[in-house]
Order: sequence, then structure tokens, then C-alpha cells
Amino acid sequence: MTDQIPVTVLTGFLGAGKTTLLNRILTEEHGKKYAVIVNEFGEEGIDNELVVDADEEIFEMNNGCICCTVRGDLIRILAGLMKRKGQFDAILIETTGLADPAPVAQTFYVDQDVADLTRLDAIVTVADARHLEGQLTDSHEAAEQIAFADIVLLNKIDLVDQAALEKVEARIRVMNPYARIFRTEKCAAPLDQVLGQNAFDLKRVLEFEPDFLDTGHEHEHDDNIKSVSLTSDVPLDPDRFQAWFGRLLQTRGQDILRSKGILDMAGETERYVIQGVHMLMDGNFLGPWPAGKPRGSRLVFIGRNLDGMALKEGFEACKAA
Amino acid sequence: MSPGERFADPLEPTAIEKAGTAYDCAAVPSGAVVLGDAVAAGFGDGVLRLFQPGFDPLARRAHLGAILSLAADPKGAFVLTGGDDGRLVRTDAAGEMEEIEGFGSKWVDAVAVAAGGGMACSVGKTVHLWDFGGHRHSLDHPSTVGGLAFDHKGERLAVGHYGGVTLWTRARRGWKSTALKWAGSHLGVRFSPNGKYVVSIMQENALHGWRLRDKTDMRMSGYPVKVKSMDWVGAAPHLVTSGADQAICWPFDGKDGPMGRGPLMVAGRGTVLATAVAGLPEHDAVVAGYKDGTILYSTLEKSAEPLLISRQGVEAITCLAVTPDTGWLFAAAEDGRVLWAPLGAGGV
Repeated sequence: MTDQIPVTVLTGFLGAGKTTLLNRILTEEHGKKYAVIVNEFGEEGIDNELVVDADEEIFEMNNGCICCTVRGDLIRILAGLMKRKGQFDAILIETTGLADPAPVAQTFYVDQDVADLTRLDAIVTVADARHLEGQLTDSHEAAEQIAFADIVLLNKIDLVDQAALEKVEARIRVMNPYARIFRTEKCAAPLDQVLGQNAFDLKRVLEFEPDFLDTGHEHEHDDNIKSVSLTSDVPLDPDRFQAWFGRLLQTRGQDILRSKGILDMAGETERYVIQGVHMLMDGNFLGPWPAGKPRGSRLVFIGRNLDGMALKEGFEACKAA
Repeated sequence: MSPGERFADPLEPTAIEKAGTAYDCAAVPSGAVVLGDAVAAGFGDGVLRLFQPGFDPLARRAHLGAILSLAADPKGAFVLTGGDDGRLVRTDAAGEMEEIEGFGSKWVDAVAVAAGGGMACSVGKTVHLWDFGGHRHSLDHPSTVGGLAFDHKGERLAVGHYGGVTLWTRARRGWKSTALKWAGSHLGVRFSPNGKYVVSIMQENALHGWRLRDKTDMRMSGYPVKVKSMDWVGAAPHLVTSGADQAICWPFDGKDGPMGRGPLMVAGRGTVLATAVAGLPEHDAVVAGYKDGTILYSTLEKSAEPLLISRQGVEAITCLAVTPDTGWLFAAAEDGRVLWAPLGAGGV
């Protein structure tokens, strides 16, 4: 089996600068050849040898999981691109400004061919520093794009003052504590820190250090998307945790957008790492705890209408007696 | 253009391999179809290769990008190919090419050829159809088309898409549609040889079928992976498919087809998954290619002992075809390695 081709997903509202970023990636010297999948409402020309037009088609899977939707067009296009194996190193997918990133991400979990041939590298969201706050208030999708992001390019910072910049960045942090934020003009972020991130690899979860927020921040805005961080110094009971977590995803999977966690399971010597999108979850034991540091569990949810108290209670009840 | 380099045999070859030739086409195969007594195969480098018994293959660069789909004229006169260069190309048995139409930056995802010379291709949600009289029709669908097939008379066209299959029937004026609904995404479609059933390969690990007389649904599921390959074989006939650790053969004799009956399973060898299958024309026998590159032959009998055709490869076999009269086997692996060999050399 050859290496899986990395796929970077670019999201962001119309006018935020997605195409600028795309063209930067395609023109800068990095020795990599990209296949680009663009949406039919693309803003302007993209100069690349291999550009595919996508018609974003959201398909429900027949697996009884109501919130499990995939991008049917991507399954088809990625399979078609694989016929040209060896002609490119990586794939970029530009979504429309109004796209919800979940079906794109879920495609990589649900479709076996897509999962075998490619891997989701990262979701990169370009946000307009001046207009993001308004868009977050008005638009469900703008909020989803921030919540799903592994990397946020807070772009057009030359058009806002320092105070406004701090404010919008704090708002992004409340919604998504683990996204890496780059403040940019003309999307001039270091590309080696945007591409090749392997953000959906469980090993990368081990590196994540969310900015834990003081709770005072949480009520500044009435965003219905926010993050909830849970921690425990007491090891968790594996059976109790699996039962609680499974039921949580089943009943609240539509509201939980992303989750990540490093967990200390009672009786285990290795760290249990999880990462998921809505109801779809990857989990595995990934090596021993670092020597000389205290063991401890931390779990972060990003979602809509999350009840922090109920989540905390449920999590606390998983502690091993 | 080189049709491909012969490569050295790493293991003791079988009698069939010894009698045949191996080629390295160095491109991902996208499909193979029987064309008269030859096999036409499309590849990801845009090259169409025509294999004839006793000759080195004829190679033609039919497309600038990858060949995505191909279909043969049932009479063996030409092959129709669709590419990611947006072109629909017709190539005759001598290798003469003609562009039927260009669709710009769009992909030509699926193609089909009817008995009598009708042709169809899909571009996004639209099927472009040229019927016998040369009349051109544009048929729209609710989502991107996954697959196309004509019936044996060329009078009906089945189109797979999200939510089911649309059946187009030639009428006095134009083509009339009937919806065959079933939740999920439908990719490859085929009519049964007698035209009484339509079967589709689904996005999930299943096939779906319809008895056309009364639109009765037939679920054919239980596969551990997606079905990628299917073919009609034998007198009954059976629909042979990949997607399990044996060749799965659904019986379509009787008036209920496979409904309420299990499939016949042949050519198994442990837990390795079958990735491609093909029927032997006019015989109750199949060839099955596996994920580890092995190719087996079996008759359609419950306890048939499979015969080893090839154990040469490492990559999965993705395309198989057998010529009708001469019984030559075309087998292509994911990495572009091809075996072109007479099955008769193995006593088949």
C-alpha cells in the first residue's frame, strides 16, 4: 500500500481570502504538485494544471446514523484523481463560502476508499478580521467553519485596529481553543505551518495544548457554539467512560462538532487518545505517559448548545472508584 | 509509445502465465472491455491499449488526462472512452480515433454503447445520448450520474445516481423516464442479459436490484467491503461480483431471481478479498482477481476446486476480461502490470 495522499480543506466566507491563499499555495516554491478541487462558485481564476470543478453534493449514508452526511462528489472525484496517481503530491479542496465543513470531514471517516487512498491533513479556515464578528452573528456556517478549523488565518488585519483584532481573536478562542491562529495580510502565513499538519492523526492530539479559558470569557457573547474543557487528575474507569461517551455521541452527536481528548484509563499504562467529528470517532492507546510528569485526563468538546455542567457531571461520574 | 515493458517473473509461473505475456503499463488501469476477439483497456495516463491474441498491444493516447470510463460496441467495432480532459472519444478496432465531443473542464464520468450503435455519456448530472438515428438527447438527473448501461436491445438506458436509478425508455418522441427509488448512492448499473432486471452497485457495501416488471426491490448485501466489479455469467445467468473473500454469484434464473436465495460462492482462498471478477463468455465459469494479486479460475459449482492462474503480483487485481471465442484473459493490477494469456494453456 502506497502512502495516503494528504488533503487540505480550505473554508471561509466569500471575500475572506480563500482564493488568495489557494493561489499562494500553488505559486510558492515548495516543490510539491497539487491537485485542486474547486467549487462551482469560485471567486476567480486558479492557475494550476490539475483543477477539478466540484458540485457540492451532500449525501446521507444508509447506515442509520441521521447526522452522518458525506460529500458524494468528493468520493467520486478523489477516486478519479487516484487514476492519475504519481502526477501530484497533495490535494486542496476549496469549499463554497456557505459550506458546513462537517460532511467533508466525515467523508474521510466514512468512505473506505477515501480513507485508504487519502488522509485529511487539516481544515484551514480563512476569516476576514473586519467582518468575522458580524458573520458569526448572522451565519450558522461561519460559526461552523471556525469551530471545525485546525488552523484559522485571521486575514485582512491591516483593515482593523489592535483592539478590534484582540476582540475577534478572543471570540475565535472561545469557540475553538485548539485551532492555531495566524494573523495575516493577504494570507501571508508560513505555508509550512499550514500544510502537512496531519491534524487528524491521533498522534497530533498528543501535542495539543488548548488555551484553557477562564470562565469569565464564556458569557461575553451569546454564541451558541463554544468549547467545554474537562479535566481529571483521577484515572477514569474505562467501561464507565465508554458507556457515557458512546451515549453522549449517540444523543448529542449532532451538536458536538469536534472532540479531542487524552485520557488516563485506570489499569492502563498508555495514554488513550480520541478525536472525532460529530458522531464519528477515532480512539487508540498511543504510548506511555511522559516520565516525570503527572498523569491526567483532558477532554475538549466544541459544539452547539453544550451544557457544560451536565458534561462535567457525566465526566466526573467516569472516575474510577 | 511503448505498449509496456515485459517484466521478469519472481516466482515459478503457471502454465497459463508461461503461455502468455506480462506487460508493465506503468499507469493505473481504469477499466477493460471485450472488443470482438480483443480486449480494450483504459489507463490513468490517457492511453487506450488494445490487446489481441498473438500480438503486442496497440497503444493510443486517447485522452490528455486519465481515462475515467470505457465501453465497447457490442458488435466489436469500436470503444468509447470518457476522460478527465472532458473529451468523449471513439476508437475503432484498428486504433483510429475520433473525438465525438468535448465538454471543456468537466469530466466525462461514465459511458455506454448500445446494440445498434447508440451511445451515451454522463457529464455531471446530465446524460448525453445519441440514439440510432443520430438524434441527440440531453437527459437531466437530480444528482451526479454514477453509472450508465443500455439493455440488450439498446431501447432502455439505466442511469444510477443518488437516491436510485432512472430508467429511460425510447418512445415515439424522445426518451421517457421512470424512477426506481432506493435510498443511497448508486454507482455502476447493469441490465440482466434478458432485460428483466436492473442491478446497481451502491456506495455502501451492497448491491441493489429491481425486477422491472413490478419494480420489486432486491437487496444484495452482506459484503465486507464495497463491490467494485460485476459481470453476468453462464446460462442461468448468475451475477458475479467482487467485494468478499470469494466470488459472489447471485442466481437470476426463475421468476424471482436471487430473492429469498443465497448466492453461490466460488474461487475462495482464505481471507484475501476479491477485487475484480469476470465471467467466461458462453461458459458457467469465472475468473476472480484478489487483493494480493492472485488470479483464480472456477466453474460455477458449489464444491468446485479453484484453479490457480497467477500468483505473480503484489498489487490488487482491478480489471479482468476474457475474450469469447479464443478464451484469452486480460488481467491488470493497480500498479499497471498486465497479464495477457490464453486460458486454454491451463486446461481450462
